[in-house]
Amino acid sequence: MKWIQQDMMTYKEAKDYIDTAVIPLVPFQLSQGQELKKNAFQREVLNLFAGEIERDLAGRVLLIPEFTYLKTSDRQVEGERLSSWCEEIQKQPFNHIFFITFDPAWKKHEQALAGTLIWLPAMATDSMQTSETHQMIRGQAQEMGELIRSYW
Amino acid sequence: MSEKKQQVTRRQFLNYTLTGLGGFMAAGMLAPMVRMAIDPVLQESGAGDMANVGLAVEDITNEPQRVDWTITQVDGWYESEVTKSAWVFVNENDEIQAFSPICTHLGCVVSWEGSEEYPDQFFCPCHNGRYYKDGTNVPGTPPTAPLSVYEHSVENGMLYLGQPIPRGEA
Ligand code: FES
Repeated sequence: MKWIQQDMMTYKEAKDYIDTAVIPLVPFQLSQGQELKKNAFQREVLNLFAGEIERDLAGRVLLIPEFTYLKTSDRQVEGERLSSWCEEIQKQPFNHIFFITFDPAWKKHEQALAGTLIWLPAMATDSMQTSETHQMIRGQAQEMGELIRSYW
Repeated sequence: MSEKKQQVTRRQFLNYTLTGLGGFMAAGMLAPMVRMAIDPVLQESGAGDMANVGLAVEDITNEPQRVDWTITQVDGWYESEVTKSAWVFVNENDEIQAFSPICTHLGCVVSWEGSEEYPDQFFCPCHNGRYYKDGTNVPGTPPTAPLSVYEHSVENGMLYLGQPIPRGEA
């Protein structure tokens, strides 16, 4: 499910069945010109991943809106902010929280997170339109889905 | 005193203006909705658009296989590429069957023989929902209705699929 009006109607009726939250972690910046294209591209790809995972497991997984932060910010501070999101989520019966990100800076702070970090190595900047890119994303998303399922 | 009076007047003026603006905006939002509701011609048709899913009829066996294809979906002002999937096979009466993989419980994607414990069934990984090969939900598992069936047609030996049609509760 997604955090949209229509899905939330179903969610309210079926809360007990939805026990897994997925949060995309997205760094934002405008000042590092040479990274700009790459960072924006990664956000697009990450959202595609998230969408694929959600599509396969829509009945049990709630896709949380992207957690966005300044790329230059202190991950420890952001980690605390993220924890308050997790607290909000865990007030409901959520047994599993997964964070998905291309940002390697989270790896160091993994222990402090209230869930499982899935870090994906960055993909080369390229067109999103090619069907190979889509195929690849589809394939990887399936594997991530399997990983999530192994926690159930 | 006169100053105060003027202030009130200005505030009133603003109030009127803003109320007017709000009303105008509401009208702007409602108009298309009303139009959608009363004019069937403007409603999104969807049905009737059959898509070539890239599967030759001669390649359809009695073992369900998954096909994926994309369509461009126009949702109001928003256009997006949507991936659709189906499980396709021929049944014992030699009829082509194309089922929607969307679990009728809460919408996960089911797989043919997705669980080793239940061969010859569709399996939903989310809450262990199951369906027989004909798409009927296995009683006692969470789904309460069979898998939806795609409208299908065959042209030049290729399979075309349209909209998934829900089947009644079983
Ligand atoms: S979504 Fe398929 S069993 Fe619940």
